[in-house]
Amino acid sequence: MGVFVFLPLVLPLTAWPIARLAEQHLHPRTATRLLAGVGALMALCSTLCLALIMVVGTAQLPGNPLPDTWSDPEVREAVPYDEVVGKAAIPALVAVAVAAVHTAWRQRRVRRRAERALEGLPPSPVAVLPDDAPYAYALPGRSGAARGRIVVSTGMLARLDSRERRALFAHERAHLTARHHRHLLAARLAARANPFLRPLQTAVAYCAERWADEEAAGEIGNRRVMARAVGKAAMVSRGAPFPVQAGFATGPVPRRVAALLGPVPPARTWPPAFTAAGVALWTAAAGTAVSALSSANSAVALFLVLRAATPL
Amino acid sequence: MGNRETAGSLPAGGGRRRGQGELEAQVLAVLRTAPGPVTAAWVQERLPGELAYTTVMTILSRLQAKNAVARQREGRSFAWEATADQAGLAALRMRRVLDGERDREAVLTSFVTSLSPEDEQVLRDLLGHTDDDPEE
Repeated sequence: MGVFVFLPLVLPLTAWPIARLAEQHLHPRTATRLLAGVGALMALCSTLCLALIMVVGTAQLPGNPLPDTWSDPEVREAVPYDEVVGKAAIPALVAVAVAAVHTAWRQRRVRRRAERALEGLPPSPVAVLPDDAPYAYALPGRSGAARGRIVVSTGMLARLDSRERRALFAHERAHLTARHHRHLLAARLAARANPFLRPLQTAVAYCAERWADEEAAGEIGNRRVMARAVGKAAMVSRGAPFPVQAGFATGPVPRRVAALLGPVPPARTWPPAFTAAGVALWTAAAGTAVSALSSANSAVALFLVLRAATPL
Repeated sequence: MGNRETAGSLPAGGGRRRGQGELEAQVLAVLRTAPGPVTAAWVQERLPGELAYTTVMTILSRLQAKNAVARQREGRSFAWEATADQAGLAALRMRRVLDGERDREAVLTSFVTSLSPEDEQVLRDLLGHTDDDPEE
């Protein structure tokens, strides 16, 4: 097996170019799904790879609960530099587990707190809250149950005209209908599993917004109104007491507005291979496939080695 | 990161265990039917189910911390008065969630993220063409 065992840990490095290309050249729907999927799969492979290395690493520690034969020379041959890597894999895997649980727990907490905040209000799809601070959020519903609700402040509504309000509601409804929070959570968890996957997290967040923008623009039938709603909302939200994401280059909002003022993105899902979008797709597909294959290869090989070493 | 809102869930009498947000909403609803400032005992009597006096007091202080009710001293006890309605309470609570959670982005997909000063200029330039656009 040799150093190929480590491939799934390093392949997520391809996330950055994939994210850049997909963001710029694919339809936002395709890009969101592709990037979230690639992220989840690469994260799984990387974690599996860590787990396998850890098994070998743990088996050589005195007092471990694994069969002693698992640290036999034949087994250790399967993983290069097993002494160092095996031991390093243990804290790495623990860190991944802790980070994933922490992220999932925080998600749950925000959701429950937000739900609790709305308790006592009639269960309408839109909750209008009397607050001068302009904000609008989509709060996803529990799986299977209601589709979630849109939370919007009177401060936000007062600053938009009626067409822009329709645009805003259409945008948030698109988030809820397509259950974008799942894509976002997948990307977040992936970024915790392997730091190389972090570019995917911001890319998925941006693409999900673009996706909702495009859906909404289609629904209200006017891209300029949609663009204006996004732009106006962003400008009035400045100075609202919510933390600003430190922006470098041009932030996501102007890019969204610029995209809306441009033409409708082509909805083709699989562009030809020799365009930038095609390169993005094919790189993503190839990287993920190699990652998955090498993980599977490592898993199977190590399983066979361990089985051969275990006297039954 | 302590979560004050989940710590010490309140035991509620009368069948189903009520969530804290719901209890707050109920207490506020009762308070809003009051002719003027009333005591906690007055609220307790009119609440559905059988809540302990201390529980009602706890909820009232919590509502006060959220600026949804106000109190004034009346003899040896306090008289309570609602200063917000149900939607107002929800707004106050939502504001606390939004202000307190940095990590909310993946759950609550916000309509827009904030702008840097450069972003704002870019945005003004972009929208400059559409603002004077007489559509429809």
